[in-house]
Amino acid sequence: MRLIVARCEVSYTGRLTAFLPASTRLLLLKSDGSVLVHADAGGYKPLNWMTPPTVIEEADGSIVVRKRSGKTEDRLEIRLHEVLSDVAHEMGEAAGLEKDGVERHLQEELAARPEALVEGLRLVRREWPTDVGPVDLMCRDADDGWVAVEIKRVATIDAVEQLSRYLERIQLDPALATCRGILAAEQLKPQAVTLAEGRGIECVEVDLAVLREEREPELTLFSLAR
Amino acid sequence: MSRGLSTRGTVQILAGVLLQVQDGHLELAATDMELSLRAKLDGNVEGEGSAVVPGRLLTEIVRLLPEEQVVLEHRVEESTVYVTSGSSESRLRTYAVEDFPRLPDPATSALSTLEAEPLLDTISRVSRAASRDESRPVLTGILVRFEGSSLVMAATDSYRMAVKETSVGGSPPDLDAIVPARALDELRRIAAGAGEIQLGTLDNHVIFGVGDTWLTTRRIDGQFPNYRQLLPEAFEHEVKLPRDEFLDVIRRAAVMAQRSTPLRLRFAEGELTVSAQTQDIGEAREQMPIGFSGEPLEIGFNPVWLRDGIESVVEDELTLKLINALRPAVIAETSGDFWYLIMPIRLAG
Repeated sequence: MRLIVARCEVSYTGRLTAFLPASTRLLLLKSDGSVLVHADAGGYKPLNWMTPPTVIEEADGSIVVRKRSGKTEDRLEIRLHEVLSDVAHEMGEAAGLEKDGVERHLQEELAARPEALVEGLRLVRREWPTDVGPVDLMCRDADDGWVAVEIKRVATIDAVEQLSRYLERIQLDPALATCRGILAAEQLKPQAVTLAEGRGIECVEVDLAVLREEREPELTLFSLAR
Repeated sequence: MSRGLSTRGTVQILAGVLLQVQDGHLELAATDMELSLRAKLDGNVEGEGSAVVPGRLLTEIVRLLPEEQVVLEHRVEESTVYVTSGSSESRLRTYAVEDFPRLPDPATSALSTLEAEPLLDTISRVSRAASRDESRPVLTGILVRFEGSSLVMAATDSYRMAVKETSVGGSPPDLDAIVPARALDELRRIAAGAGEIQLGTLDNHVIFGVGDTWLTTRRIDGQFPNYRQLLPEAFEHEVKLPRDEFLDVIRRAAVMAQRSTPLRLRFAEGELTVSAQTQDIGEAREQMPIGFSGEPLEIGFNPVWLRDGIESVVEDELTLKLINALRPAVIAETSGDFWYLIMPIRLAG
């Protein structure tokens, strides 16, 4: 990652033309080819930016960033009047964004107490591998049937699709051909429930605080298992 | 008619009102694919044809018309409907009429005629117990079941359940369906003051007719909870309470039950104390004399659910049936054809 603080002017030509008069700005040149021009105001959004793949040409006093866009070319030309700082850092391998720990904590709690999902359920393995990725929990039910459990904070249609893909691969093994699926989430989207029902996947709503016994479950007239 | 319009902007045609001139009548129709409304209007009609116009805009325009009379003129070649009243003229661009969904036709359904009042009264007694949580579609509906000459409706959101049995005259239809509570609430609005309601089924739809207005709603698929099994067979206490006085006490105390805090009801010898306390806000406490004897019992309720139950009672006196602080309580009437089950909330300390 290269960071340049410079007094510069920027002109953009492509789908439209734009010009930033000379001022002090931060230029971010990422190793993936992204180029962003930031001011010290205006929030998180750059004043100008170019997404990869780009070609970056540096000449004396200017940086030109080019990108093919169909038959035309987008072009960001930065004229450097005065460079105040120019540093480059090796950032190493990128770690994925961890939005929150809820999914991980849910998996830990449900691995410890799978019977919270369905009575009689017991854990066989966490992160059961399939050739399209690991399913969160592989369990067996009270009748020794195989049950693949995918855990989400919010279960959407994508989560149903993901579990369907895992089940498809798991069921290729004759020993696991009758494996069924459970989608467990703190919040289940109605569309996800409908799609899951149509595919014979059970949906179970879980509450992390209740699983951790930090809070008693709400009293209800009947079980809310779907 | 605007209640039938889709509020989800993904399918433009569902935000439109169909204006259809046929056999000398103007018929309006709107649907969001779950609920459909169609109504005939009297007026001087010339020609035949149909157009779909943006429903919300038409509603706004009509609401603000300067005069009582309005002229709607469809100019097909301009794809425009002109709305003229006095010196006001608005032009609405039309949607493609062939995109408007085909609505269930009441003429193809076997219809039964029911007295409106018992049907609407039954809806009003149970509908507020229905869930608003779309992730559990079955609970957003009201179970509507005709058993002989009796109509049973039940609704539940899993925390409370209202059941009403009503005797209906005539020849009731053979219907056992889960009908969206939203559609039945709409029927109450449309049919207010009407003498009769026509009721029929068609494929997966239930059809209600009030004069020249038809409401069609999709049935909800699924299994409704067995409401009879949920009703406890025995109770530890049965307390008779004056409805209005009890309701007033609950309402006053509920003001201080903020941020999902429960109402506390403490039953002791001859006295009920209702209290609510919200940290950093304040508290309320009120007593009322009651016929209670035995070991004191303290039980917590969601103030809104409790108030809904009391408000659903139409008799002057209600019976509150209790088992313990963790089992469902029942609000019942002397007539014995209305029950409102309500789960308590665990009380801290």
